[in-house]
Amino acid sequence: MSTHTTTRAQTVSETLSSVIELLENDQNLKKQIRESIEPIDDLSRSAITELNKLHSAPFSQHKEICENSINIISKTQPLWIDVAKLIPESEFYRYQFASGPTMRNLTTSIVLARFILHDELTPSHTISNLLGLQTESTSVLQLSAEDYLQGVIGAVNELPRLSINAVTSQNFELPIKISSFINDIFASYSLLNLRNDALRRKFDSLKYDLKRCEDVVYDLTLRGLTKPRE
Amino acid sequence: MADVDILMPSDIAESSTSGSFNRKQHLMSTFEAYRSELDADNERREKLIIISRSITQLSKKLIFHLHRNATSLSTNLKEKCLKEGRLKEREIWINFKKIKDELNTIGSGTSEEAKQGFWRWNRQVSPGLEEYIEALSFLYYLENKSLIPLKVVQKSLSDEDGDPLVIVTPEDYILGMSDLTGELMRYATNALSTGDHQTPLEVCDFVRTVKAHFDGISPQMLYKLSKKQEETTRSLEKIEKVCYALRLRLIEFADKPEVLAMIAKRALEDAADKEERSRDE
Repeated sequence: MSTHTTTRAQTVSETLSSVIELLENDQNLKKQIRESIEPIDDLSRSAITELNKLHSAPFSQHKEICENSINIISKTQPLWIDVAKLIPESEFYRYQFASGPTMRNLTTSIVLARFILHDELTPSHTISNLLGLQTESTSVLQLSAEDYLQGVIGAVNELPRLSINAVTSQNFELPIKISSFINDIFASYSLLNLRNDALRRKFDSLKYDLKRCEDVVYDLTLRGLTKPRE
Repeated sequence: MADVDILMPSDIAESSTSGSFNRKQHLMSTFEAYRSELDADNERREKLIIISRSITQLSKKLIFHLHRNATSLSTNLKEKCLKEGRLKEREIWINFKKIKDELNTIGSGTSEEAKQGFWRWNRQVSPGLEEYIEALSFLYYLENKSLIPLKVVQKSLSDEDGDPLVIVTPEDYILGMSDLTGELMRYATNALSTGDHQTPLEVCDFVRTVKAHFDGISPQMLYKLSKKQEETTRSLEKIEKVCYALRLRLIEFADKPEVLAMIAKRALEDAADKEERSRDE
Protein backbone atom coordinates (compact mmCIF):
# COMPACT_ATOMS: atom_id res chain seq x y z
CA MET A 1 0.00 0.00 0.00
CA SER A 2 2.66 2.49 1.04
CA THR A 3 4.65 2.55 -2.23
CA HIS A 4 1.48 2.84 -4.24
CA THR A 5 0.24 5.74 -2.15
CA THR A 6 3.57 7.48 -2.28
CA THR A 7 3.67 7.54 -6.06
CA ARG A 8 0.10 8.76 -6.21
CA ALA A 9 0.85 11.53 -3.74
CA GLN A 10 3.85 12.44 -5.85
CA THR A 11 1.76 12.69 -8.99
CA VAL A 12 -0.77 14.86 -7.19
CA SER A 13 2.05 17.04 -5.90
CA GLU A 14 3.59 17.41 -9.32
CA THR A 15 0.27 18.25 -10.94
CA LEU A 16 -0.47 20.90 -8.32
CA SER A 17 3.02 22.39 -8.39
CA SER A 18 2.93 22.81 -12.14
CA VAL A 19 -0.48 24.47 -12.05
CA ILE A 20 0.61 26.81 -9.27
CA GLU A 21 3.58 27.77 -11.38
CA LEU A 22 1.25 28.61 -14.26
CA LEU A 23 -0.89 30.66 -11.89
CA GLU A 24 2.18 32.58 -10.78
CA ASN A 25 3.06 33.35 -14.39
CA ASP A 26 -0.45 34.63 -15.02
CA GLN A 27 -0.40 36.78 -11.92
CA ASN A 28 3.03 38.16 -12.74
CA LEU A 29 1.81 39.24 -16.14
CA LYS A 30 -1.18 40.97 -14.55
CA LYS A 31 1.18 42.76 -12.20
CA GLN A 32 3.45 43.82 -15.07
CA ILE A 33 0.48 45.19 -16.98
CA ARG A 34 -0.73 47.11 -13.96
CA GLU A 35 2.74 48.56 -13.50
CA SER A 36 3.00 49.53 -17.16
CA ILE A 37 -0.14 51.61 -16.76
CA GLU A 38 1.11 53.52 -13.72
CA PRO A 39 3.12 56.13 -15.69
CA ILE A 40 0.02 56.71 -17.83
CA ASP A 41 -2.00 57.33 -14.70
CA ASP A 42 0.63 59.85 -13.60
CA LEU A 43 0.20 61.80 -16.82
CA SER A 44 -3.55 61.48 -16.55
CA ARG A 45 -3.42 63.07 -13.13
CA SER A 46 -1.25 65.91 -14.43
CA ALA A 47 -3.84 66.56 -17.12
CA ILE A 48 -6.56 66.68 -14.48
CA THR A 49 -4.49 69.06 -12.35
CA GLU A 50 -4.12 71.31 -15.36
CA LEU A 51 -7.84 71.20 -16.12
CA ASN A 52 -8.63 72.11 -12.53
CA LYS A 53 -7.29 75.57 -13.31
CA LEU A 54 -10.37 76.14 -15.47
CA HIS A 55 -12.33 76.86 -12.31
CA SER A 56 -10.12 79.75 -11.18
CA ALA A 57 -8.22 81.08 -14.20
CA PRO A 58 -9.58 84.01 -16.23
CA PHE A 59 -11.40 82.74 -19.28
CA SER A 60 -8.78 84.23 -21.57
CA GLN A 61 -6.54 81.38 -20.39
CA HIS A 62 -9.04 78.60 -20.91
CA LYS A 63 -7.80 77.76 -24.38
CA GLU A 64 -4.22 77.45 -23.21
CA ILE A 65 -5.16 75.29 -20.22
CA CYS A 66 -7.11 72.88 -22.41
CA GLU A 67 -4.38 72.69 -25.03
CA ASN A 68 -1.83 72.00 -22.30
CA SER A 69 -3.84 69.18 -20.87
CA ILE A 70 -4.34 67.59 -24.28
CA ASN A 71 -0.60 67.88 -24.90
CA ILE A 72 0.08 66.10 -21.62
CA ILE A 73 -2.32 63.35 -22.64
CA SER A 74 -0.66 62.84 -26.02
CA LYS A 75 2.51 62.02 -24.13
CA THR A 76 0.83 58.76 -23.11
CA GLN A 77 1.06 57.48 -26.71
CA PRO A 78 4.47 55.76 -26.44
CA LEU A 79 3.48 54.39 -23.02
CA TRP A 80 0.42 52.67 -24.48
CA ILE A 81 2.77 50.86 -26.86
CA ASP A 82 4.55 49.42 -23.81
CA VAL A 83 1.22 48.25 -22.41
CA ALA A 84 0.20 46.74 -25.74
CA LYS A 85 3.41 44.71 -25.91
CA LEU A 86 2.48 42.90 -22.70
CA ILE A 87 -1.06 41.89 -23.68
CA PRO A 88 -1.36 38.67 -25.69
CA GLU A 89 -3.31 38.77 -28.95
CA SER A 90 -7.13 38.76 -28.45
CA GLU A 91 -6.79 38.93 -24.65
CA PHE A 92 -7.53 42.64 -24.25
CA TYR A 93 -10.63 42.06 -22.16
CA ARG A 94 -8.78 39.69 -19.85
CA TYR A 95 -6.71 42.64 -18.67
CA GLN A 96 -9.26 45.39 -19.10
CA PHE A 97 -9.60 45.64 -15.33
CA ALA A 98 -6.18 47.32 -15.43
CA SER A 99 -6.61 49.63 -18.42
CA GLY A 100 -10.32 50.46 -18.20
CA PRO A 101 -10.29 53.01 -15.35
CA THR A 102 -7.32 54.79 -16.92
CA MET A 103 -9.02 54.99 -20.30
CA ARG A 104 -12.18 56.34 -18.69
CA ASN A 105 -10.24 59.07 -16.86
CA LEU A 106 -8.40 60.08 -20.00
CA THR A 107 -11.68 60.18 -21.90
CA THR A 108 -13.08 62.46 -19.21
CA SER A 109 -10.19 64.91 -19.51
CA ILE A 110 -10.18 64.95 -23.30
CA VAL A 111 -13.94 65.43 -23.54
CA LEU A 112 -13.84 68.27 -21.04
CA ALA A 113 -10.92 70.03 -22.72
CA ARG A 114 -12.33 69.68 -26.20
CA PHE A 115 -15.74 70.88 -25.10
CA ILE A 116 -14.14 74.13 -23.91
CA LEU A 117 -12.06 74.39 -27.08
CA HIS A 118 -14.56 73.36 -29.74
CA ASP A 119 -17.96 73.20 -28.05
CA GLU A 120 -18.40 69.59 -29.19
CA LEU A 121 -18.58 66.08 -27.81
CA THR A 122 -15.36 64.37 -28.81
CA PRO A 123 -16.15 61.14 -30.67
CA SER A 124 -14.65 57.90 -29.48
CA HIS A 125 -12.34 57.47 -32.47
CA THR A 126 -10.81 60.92 -31.92
CA ILE A 127 -9.96 59.90 -28.38
CA SER A 128 -8.42 56.64 -29.62
CA ASN A 129 -6.33 58.72 -32.02
CA LEU A 130 -5.18 61.11 -29.33
CA LEU A 131 -4.11 58.15 -27.20
CA GLY A 132 -2.38 56.53 -30.17
CA LEU A 133 -4.52 53.42 -29.93
CA GLN A 134 -5.08 53.06 -33.65
CA THR A 135 -1.58 52.23 -34.73
CA GLU A 136 -0.32 48.78 -35.61
CA SER A 137 1.75 48.47 -32.45
CA THR A 138 -1.28 49.19 -30.24
CA SER A 139 -3.90 47.23 -32.17
CA VAL A 140 -4.47 44.90 -29.21
CA LEU A 141 -5.83 47.86 -27.21
CA GLN A 142 -9.18 49.50 -27.69
CA LEU A 143 -11.39 52.12 -26.13
CA SER A 144 -14.55 50.13 -25.48
CA ALA A 145 -17.99 51.70 -25.88
CA GLU A 146 -18.60 51.16 -22.19
CA ASP A 147 -15.43 52.98 -21.14
CA TYR A 148 -16.08 55.82 -23.57
CA LEU A 149 -19.68 56.29 -22.44
CA GLN A 150 -18.66 56.31 -18.79
CA GLY A 151 -15.76 58.67 -19.43
CA VAL A 152 -18.04 61.18 -21.14
CA ILE A 153 -20.32 61.32 -18.13
CA GLY A 154 -17.24 61.90 -15.97
CA ALA A 155 -16.64 65.10 -17.96
CA VAL A 156 -20.25 66.17 -17.58
CA ASN A 157 -19.97 65.71 -13.80
CA GLU A 158 -17.35 68.49 -13.80
CA LEU A 159 -19.60 70.99 -15.57
CA PRO A 160 -22.00 72.18 -12.82
CA ARG A 161 -19.03 73.44 -10.79
CA LEU A 162 -17.52 75.02 -13.85
CA SER A 163 -20.79 76.75 -14.63
CA ILE A 164 -21.08 78.28 -11.17
CA ASN A 165 -17.45 79.37 -11.10
CA ALA A 166 -17.80 80.92 -14.52
CA VAL A 167 -20.51 83.22 -13.14
CA THR A 168 -18.27 84.15 -10.22
CA SER A 169 -15.58 85.25 -12.65
CA GLN A 170 -18.19 87.06 -14.75
CA ASN A 171 -18.13 84.75 -17.71
CA PHE A 172 -21.83 84.68 -18.58
CA GLU A 173 -21.38 82.93 -21.88
CA LEU A 174 -19.98 79.65 -20.60
CA PRO A 175 -22.99 78.62 -18.45
CA ILE A 176 -25.21 78.85 -21.52
CA LYS A 177 -22.80 76.80 -23.59
CA ILE A 178 -22.62 74.24 -20.80
CA SER A 179 -26.35 74.01 -20.36
CA SER A 180 -26.95 73.41 -24.04
CA PHE A 181 -24.17 70.81 -24.15
CA ILE A 182 -25.52 68.85 -21.18
CA ASN A 183 -28.98 68.98 -22.68
CA ASP A 184 -27.74 67.38 -25.88
CA ILE A 185 -25.80 64.75 -24.00
CA PHE A 186 -28.69 63.92 -21.72
CA ALA A 187 -30.98 63.50 -24.73
CA SER A 188 -28.41 61.23 -26.38
CA TYR A 189 -27.93 58.99 -23.36
CA SER A 190 -31.69 58.75 -22.99
CA LEU A 191 -31.67 56.79 -26.24
CA LEU A 192 -29.75 53.94 -24.62
CA ASN A 193 -31.38 50.91 -23.01
CA LEU A 194 -29.28 50.63 -19.91
CA ARG A 195 -29.04 47.68 -17.57
CA ASN A 196 -28.61 48.06 -13.85
CA ASP A 197 -24.88 48.52 -14.00
CA ALA A 198 -22.19 51.14 -13.48
CA LEU A 199 -23.15 53.01 -16.64
CA ARG A 200 -26.75 53.20 -15.48
CA ARG A 201 -25.71 54.71 -12.16
CA LYS A 202 -23.53 57.24 -13.97
CA PHE A 203 -26.43 58.11 -16.22
CA ASP A 204 -28.61 58.74 -13.18
CA SER A 205 -26.11 61.37 -12.05
CA LEU A 206 -26.60 63.25 -15.33
CA LYS A 207 -30.07 64.43 -14.31
CA TYR A 208 -28.71 66.31 -11.31
CA ASP A 209 -25.92 67.87 -13.31
CA LEU A 210 -28.42 68.99 -15.90
CA LYS A 211 -30.63 70.60 -13.27
CA ARG A 212 -27.77 72.43 -11.55
CA CYS A 213 -26.57 73.86 -14.86
CA GLU A 214 -30.07 74.96 -15.84
CA ASP A 215 -30.50 76.65 -12.46
CA VAL A 216 -27.44 78.79 -13.21
CA VAL A 217 -28.86 79.81 -16.58
CA TYR A 218 -32.14 80.65 -14.85
CA ASP A 219 -30.36 82.90 -12.36
CA LEU A 220 -28.62 84.68 -15.24
CA THR A 221 -31.82 85.09 -17.26
CA LEU A 222 -33.60 86.54 -14.25
CA ARG A 223 -30.95 89.23 -14.04
CA GLY A 224 -30.85 89.95 -17.75
CA LEU A 225 -27.34 88.60 -18.07
CA THR A 226 -28.03 86.27 -20.97
CA LYS A 227 -28.66 88.99 -23.51
CA PRO A 228 -25.86 90.53 -25.56
CA ARG A 229 -24.66 93.87 -24.30
CA GLU A 230 -25.67 96.96 -26.30
CA MET B 1 -12.87 95.47 -10.41
CA ALA B 2 -13.60 97.67 -13.37
CA ASP B 3 -10.74 96.14 -15.33
CA VAL B 4 -12.06 92.63 -15.04
CA ASP B 5 -13.28 91.21 -18.29
CA ILE B 6 -16.90 90.39 -18.55
CA LEU B 7 -17.89 87.92 -21.18
CA MET B 8 -21.46 88.37 -22.28
CA PRO B 9 -23.26 85.93 -24.51
CA SER B 10 -22.64 88.15 -27.54
CA ASP B 11 -23.62 86.52 -30.77
CA ILE B 12 -24.16 83.23 -29.03
CA ALA B 13 -27.87 83.41 -29.75
CA GLU B 14 -27.69 82.60 -33.47
CA SER B 15 -24.50 80.62 -33.65
CA SER B 16 -25.43 78.24 -30.89
CA THR B 17 -28.98 77.54 -32.03
CA SER B 18 -27.96 76.43 -35.49
CA GLY B 19 -24.68 74.91 -34.23
CA SER B 20 -26.21 72.99 -31.39
CA PHE B 21 -29.09 71.81 -33.54
CA ASN B 22 -26.57 70.15 -35.82
CA ARG B 23 -24.67 68.83 -32.88
CA LYS B 24 -27.82 67.32 -31.43
CA GLN B 25 -28.75 65.61 -34.70
CA HIS B 26 -25.26 64.27 -35.01
CA LEU B 27 -25.16 63.02 -31.43
CA MET B 28 -28.52 61.33 -31.73
CA SER B 29 -27.41 59.26 -34.70
CA THR B 30 -24.13 58.36 -32.95
CA PHE B 31 -26.00 57.25 -29.87
CA GLU B 32 -28.45 55.23 -31.88
CA ALA B 33 -25.43 53.22 -33.04
CA TYR B 34 -24.34 52.85 -29.41
CA ARG B 35 -27.82 51.69 -28.54
CA SER B 36 -27.70 48.83 -31.03
CA GLU B 37 -24.23 47.91 -29.86
CA LEU B 38 -25.24 47.85 -26.19
CA ASP B 39 -28.45 45.98 -26.98
CA ALA B 40 -26.56 43.29 -28.87
CA ASP B 41 -24.07 43.00 -26.01
CA ASN B 42 -26.84 42.68 -23.44
CA GLU B 43 -28.59 40.02 -25.44
CA ARG B 44 -25.38 38.02 -25.72
CA ARG B 45 -24.65 38.46 -22.03
CA GLU B 46 -28.12 37.15 -21.13
CA LYS B 47 -27.72 34.12 -23.38
CA LEU B 48 -24.36 33.23 -21.90
CA ILE B 49 -25.65 33.63 -18.35
CA ILE B 50 -28.50 31.24 -19.13
CA ILE B 51 -26.14 28.62 -20.59
CA SER B 52 -23.76 29.04 -17.68
CA ARG B 53 -26.64 28.51 -15.24
CA SER B 54 -27.73 25.31 -16.89
CA ILE B 55 -24.11 24.10 -16.79
CA THR B 56 -24.13 24.77 -13.06
CA GLN B 57 -27.39 22.87 -12.60
CA LEU B 58 -26.27 19.87 -14.63
CA SER B 59 -22.92 19.77 -12.86
CA LYS B 60 -24.62 19.74 -9.47
CA LYS B 61 -26.81 16.90 -10.66
CA LEU B 62 -23.77 14.98 -11.81
CA ILE B 63 -22.17 15.40 -8.39
CA PHE B 64 -25.33 14.15 -6.63
CA HIS B 65 -25.51 11.24 -9.02
CA LEU B 66 -21.93 10.27 -8.18
CA HIS B 67 -22.55 10.53 -4.45
CA ARG B 68 -25.57 8.25 -4.68
CA ASN B 69 -23.77 5.18 -5.96
CA ALA B 70 -20.07 5.85 -5.97
CA THR B 71 -19.65 4.38 -2.51
CA SER B 72 -21.54 1.22 -3.32
CA LEU B 73 -19.56 -1.89 -2.47
CA SER B 74 -20.90 -3.69 -5.52
CA THR B 75 -18.42 -3.21 -8.34
CA ASN B 76 -21.20 -3.53 -10.90
CA LEU B 77 -23.27 -0.74 -9.42
CA LYS B 78 -20.26 1.45 -9.05
CA GLU B 79 -19.17 0.94 -12.64
CA LYS B 80 -22.66 1.61 -13.90
CA CYS B 81 -22.73 4.81 -11.86
CA LEU B 82 -19.45 6.02 -13.32
CA LYS B 83 -20.54 5.15 -16.85
CA GLU B 84 -23.75 7.11 -16.42
CA GLY B 85 -21.66 9.88 -14.92
CA ARG B 86 -19.62 10.05 -18.12
CA LEU B 87 -22.80 10.33 -20.18
CA LYS B 88 -23.99 13.17 -17.99
CA GLU B 89 -20.62 14.85 -18.34
CA ARG B 90 -20.97 14.78 -22.13
CA GLU B 91 -24.42 16.36 -21.82
CA ILE B 92 -22.80 19.26 -20.04
CA TRP B 93 -20.19 19.40 -22.79
CA ILE B 94 -22.99 20.18 -25.28
CA ASN B 95 -23.66 23.37 -23.32
CA PHE B 96 -20.06 24.43 -23.62
CA LYS B 97 -20.43 23.87 -27.32
CA LYS B 98 -23.38 26.26 -27.21
CA ILE B 99 -21.17 28.87 -25.58
CA LYS B 100 -18.63 28.47 -28.35
CA ASP B 101 -21.38 28.72 -30.98
CA GLU B 102 -22.62 31.92 -29.37
CA LEU B 103 -19.12 33.40 -29.30
CA ASN B 104 -18.72 32.47 -32.95
CA THR B 105 -21.57 34.81 -33.87
CA ILE B 106 -19.53 37.84 -32.78
CA GLY B 107 -18.55 40.24 -35.55
CA SER B 108 -17.66 38.45 -38.75
CA GLY B 109 -17.21 35.16 -36.91
CA THR B 110 -13.42 34.82 -36.96
CA SER B 111 -11.72 32.75 -34.29
CA GLU B 112 -9.88 35.88 -33.03
CA GLU B 113 -13.20 37.61 -32.47
CA ALA B 114 -14.53 34.55 -30.65
CA LYS B 115 -11.46 34.47 -28.43
CA GLN B 116 -11.72 38.18 -27.79
CA GLY B 117 -15.37 37.59 -26.89
CA PHE B 118 -14.50 34.73 -24.59
CA TRP B 119 -12.40 37.01 -22.43
CA ARG B 120 -14.97 39.75 -22.65
CA TRP B 121 -17.74 37.51 -21.36
CA ASN B 122 -15.56 35.46 -19.07
CA ARG B 123 -17.36 36.63 -15.95
CA GLN B 124 -20.67 35.35 -17.31
CA VAL B 125 -19.21 31.95 -18.21
CA SER B 126 -16.93 31.24 -15.27
CA PRO B 127 -19.49 30.29 -12.56
CA GLY B 128 -20.70 27.37 -14.68
CA LEU B 129 -17.17 26.48 -15.66
CA GLU B 130 -16.07 26.30 -12.04
CA GLU B 131 -18.93 24.00 -11.11
CA TYR B 132 -18.21 21.81 -14.11
CA ILE B 133 -14.53 21.48 -13.19
CA GLU B 134 -15.58 20.41 -9.70
CA ALA B 135 -17.91 17.74 -11.06
CA LEU B 136 -15.43 16.55 -13.66
CA SER B 137 -12.58 16.29 -11.17
CA PHE B 138 -14.80 14.31 -8.79
CA LEU B 139 -15.74 11.92 -11.57
CA TYR B 140 -12.08 11.61 -12.51
CA TYR B 141 -11.12 10.94 -8.91
CA LEU B 142 -13.65 8.14 -8.64
CA GLU B 143 -12.45 6.64 -11.90
CA ASN B 144 -8.71 6.97 -11.27
CA LYS B 145 -8.33 7.71 -7.55
CA SER B 146 -6.20 10.62 -8.58
CA LEU B 147 -6.11 14.30 -9.36
CA ILE B 148 -7.19 15.34 -12.83
CA PRO B 149 -4.44 17.30 -14.58
CA LEU B 150 -5.26 20.74 -16.02
CA LYS B 151 -4.49 19.41 -19.49
CA VAL B 152 -7.16 16.74 -19.16
CA VAL B 153 -9.72 19.33 -18.05
CA GLN B 154 -8.87 21.43 -21.09
CA LYS B 155 -9.09 18.37 -23.33
CA SER B 156 -12.56 17.55 -21.98
CA LEU B 157 -13.56 21.09 -22.91
CA SER B 158 -12.33 20.91 -26.47
CA ASP B 159 -14.19 20.11 -29.66
CA GLU B 160 -13.66 17.12 -31.96
CA ASP B 161 -10.65 18.81 -33.57
CA GLY B 162 -9.04 19.51 -30.22
CA ASP B 163 -9.78 23.25 -30.32
CA PRO B 164 -10.83 24.58 -26.92
CA LEU B 165 -14.53 25.39 -26.48
CA VAL B 166 -13.65 27.58 -23.54
CA ILE B 167 -10.24 28.34 -22.07
CA VAL B 168 -9.51 26.87 -18.65
CA THR B 169 -7.10 29.07 -16.71
CA PRO B 170 -4.96 27.87 -13.80
CA GLU B 171 -7.17 30.04 -11.64
CA ASP B 172 -10.36 28.23 -12.72
CA TYR B 173 -8.63 24.92 -12.18
CA ILE B 174 -7.34 25.71 -8.71
CA LEU B 175 -10.71 27.05 -7.54
CA GLY B 176 -12.37 23.92 -8.91
CA MET B 177 -9.93 21.65 -7.05
CA SER B 178 -10.58 23.58 -3.89
CA ASP B 179 -14.29 22.78 -4.25
CA LEU B 180 -13.43 19.17 -4.96
CA THR B 181 -12.12 18.73 -1.40
CA GLY B 182 -15.62 19.41 -0.06
CA GLU B 183 -17.09 16.70 -2.27
CA LEU B 184 -14.37 14.29 -1.19
CA MET B 185 -15.19 14.95 2.45
CA ARG B 186 -18.78 13.89 1.77
CA TYR B 187 -17.53 10.94 -0.23
CA ALA B 188 -15.26 9.80 2.61
CA THR B 189 -18.05 10.07 5.16
CA ASN B 190 -20.43 8.14 2.91
CA ALA B 191 -17.81 5.48 2.34
CA LEU B 192 -17.55 4.97 6.05
CA SER B 193 -21.22 4.14 6.31
CA THR B 194 -20.92 1.35 3.78
CA GLY B 195 -17.95 -0.09 5.64
CA ASP B 196 -15.40 0.95 3.04
CA HIS B 197 -12.44 1.67 5.27
CA GLN B 198 -9.80 2.29 2.67
CA THR B 199 -11.45 5.28 1.04
CA PRO B 200 -11.43 7.68 4.01
CA LEU B 201 -7.71 7.09 4.51
CA GLU B 202 -6.97 7.66 0.84
CA VAL B 203 -9.12 10.75 0.67
CA CYS B 204 -7.47 12.12 3.77
CA ASP B 205 -4.06 11.78 2.18
CA PHE B 206 -5.26 13.41 -1.00
CA VAL B 207 -7.00 16.37 0.60
CA ARG B 208 -3.99 16.97 2.84
CA THR B 209 -1.73 17.22 -0.19
CA VAL B 210 -4.11 19.62 -1.93
CA LYS B 211 -4.49 21.83 1.13
CA ALA B 212 -0.75 21.93 1.73
CA HIS B 213 -0.09 23.11 -1.81
CA PHE B 214 -2.84 25.70 -1.77
CA ASP B 215 -1.59 27.07 1.55
CA GLY B 216 1.47 28.13 -0.39
CA ILE B 217 -0.53 30.42 -2.66
CA SER B 218 -0.55 33.99 -1.39
CA PRO B 219 -3.98 35.60 -0.97
CA GLN B 220 -2.87 38.53 -3.12
CA MET B 221 -2.43 36.13 -5.97
CA LEU B 222 -5.81 34.49 -5.69
CA TYR B 223 -8.07 36.17 -3.19
CA LYS B 224 -11.03 33.87 -3.82
CA LEU B 225 -8.93 30.88 -2.84
CA SER B 226 -8.10 32.18 0.63
CA LYS B 227 -11.80 32.07 1.51
CA LYS B 228 -12.17 28.59 0.07
CA GLN B 229 -9.14 27.39 2.00
CA GLU B 230 -11.07 27.91 5.24
CA GLU B 231 -13.72 25.55 3.93
CA THR B 232 -11.07 23.04 2.85
CA THR B 233 -9.51 23.16 6.31
CA ARG B 234 -12.87 22.39 7.89
CA SER B 235 -13.42 19.51 5.46
CA LEU B 236 -10.00 18.10 6.20
CA GLU B 237 -10.59 18.24 9.94
CA LYS B 238 -13.78 16.26 9.51
CA ILE B 239 -12.01 13.66 7.40
CA GLU B 240 -9.22 13.42 9.95
CA LYS B 241 -11.66 12.85 12.80
CA VAL B 242 -13.30 10.07 10.81
CA CYS B 243 -9.90 8.51 10.15
CA TYR B 244 -8.93 8.76 13.81
CA ALA B 245 -12.00 6.87 14.98
CA LEU B 246 -11.59 4.47 12.11
CA ARG B 247 -7.97 3.66 12.91
CA LEU B 248 -8.68 2.92 16.57
CA ARG B 249 -11.54 0.64 15.72
CA LEU B 250 -9.68 -1.12 12.93
CA ILE B 251 -7.08 -2.09 15.49
CA GLU B 252 -9.63 -3.03 18.11
CA PHE B 253 -11.87 -5.15 15.90
CA ALA B 254 -9.42 -6.34 13.27
CA ASP B 255 -10.94 -9.82 13.35
CA LYS B 256 -14.64 -8.84 13.42
CA PRO B 257 -15.62 -6.97 10.24
CA GLU B 258 -19.37 -6.99 11.05
CA VAL B 259 -18.76 -5.12 14.30
CA LEU B 260 -16.61 -2.64 12.44
CA ALA B 261 -19.38 -1.85 9.99
CA MET B 262 -21.82 -1.20 12.81
CA ILE B 263 -19.46 1.03 14.73
CA ALA B 264 -18.60 2.97 11.64
CA LYS B 265 -22.24 3.67 11.09
CA ARG B 266 -22.63 5.02 14.57
CA ALA B 267 -19.57 7.24 14.14
CA LEU B 268 -21.13 8.64 11.03
CA GLU B 269 -24.36 9.50 12.82
CA ASP B 270 -22.34 11.22 15.53
CA ALA B 271 -20.52 13.27 12.95
CA ALA B 272 -23.80 14.28 11.32
CA ASP B 273 -25.18 15.36 14.70
CA LYS B 274 -22.15 17.44 15.44
CA GLU B 275 -22.29 19.11 12.09
CA GLU B 276 -25.87 20.08 12.67
CA ARG B 277 -25.11 21.42 16.09
CA SER B 278 -22.22 23.54 14.86
CA ARG B 279 -24.47 24.87 12.13
CA ASP B 280 -27.15 25.79 14.69
CA GLU B 281 -24.58 27.70 16.68
